[in-house]
Amino acid sequence: MDLSMLKEYLPFLIPLVILQFALSITALIHVLRHPHYRFGNKVMWVLVVMFIHFVGPILYFALGKGED
Amino acid sequence: MRGYLVFLKKEIFEYTKTYKLLIMLVVFAIFGITNPLIAKLLPEILESLATDGVIITLPDPTAYDAWEQFFKNATQMGLIVTVIIFSGVLSSELSKGTLINLLTKGLSRTAVILSKYTCMVLVWTASIALCFGLTYGYTVYLFPKDETSNLLFSVFCLWLFGLFLLAVLIFSATLTKSNYGCLLITFVAVVACMIMDIIPAMHRYNPISLATDNMGLIMNSIEVSSLYSAILISCLLSLIFVSLSVTIFRRKQL
Repeated sequence: MDLSMLKEYLPFLIPLVILQFALSITALIHVLRHPHYRFGNKVMWVLVVMFIHFVGPILYFALGKGED
Repeated sequence: MRGYLVFLKKEIFEYTKTYKLLIMLVVFAIFGITNPLIAKLLPEILESLATDGVIITLPDPTAYDAWEQFFKNATQMGLIVTVIIFSGVLSSELSKGTLINLLTKGLSRTAVILSKYTCMVLVWTASIALCFGLTYGYTVYLFPKDETSNLLFSVFCLWLFGLFLLAVLIFSATLTKSNYGCLLITFVAVVACMIMDIIPAMHRYNPISLATDNMGLIMNSIEVSSLYSAILISCLLSLIFVSLSVTIFRRKQL
């Protein structure tokens, strides 16, 4: 992939990157503020939401988030 | 009526508070952006996979490929995510017991079911509209020359199928106590529709043809009028399922 191709796909990449960051950061804040999970611990969830793109935060909100 | 509006407001607040609205919107936004992108990049990805000696030739991608991705993702992953997110629509509040207080204070059970259904429909509409808008914008940007026909009607059919599915979902939620039971009954209903689809004579009247005929509509190989009866049947069935769930919920021992 050269630079011109990257430029062509920039209109796609920017929104995807923004979405990914918004998701990770909301999930990260939630993980740190609510230390009760249905399973797993804080370190595991921090790693999951930070490093598994898109799927990690969604998994956290759908499965890992404990009841308030 | 007042109970309905108040409960609707509470439902919307709950979806934002439990991040369900966020998940739905983000999932559909990701689909919306990646649909045209994957259509555009698929030939190049396959080319890079080809080792020497194997030549893969694919026709240049068109807007049809982008819409094919859209209808594939929205009808499979999209609907699966929607059903899973909404599977706890009744069971979570029943098991926590938070609904009992409201019901004893005079909130009618009809209002509960109707506002829950309305809220699910609103979230589904927003998500599919977002996905459609993004796919449309990027498809026009990537494939400006390609023309598609019946696009809006095709998406309308998909949206209507979502409404039907949500009606089945709320009906099964009133029948069972857990969200797994709710998921199971919805799944069985969809499989039943698929099995009925094997009989060619049933295809015209089967709600599932609203979610399977979309590409045919866009390519103009399926006539718009052939779906009218399926649309009518879906609307009727949705109405029946919602009113049945109201009746069952009114008689249910909580």
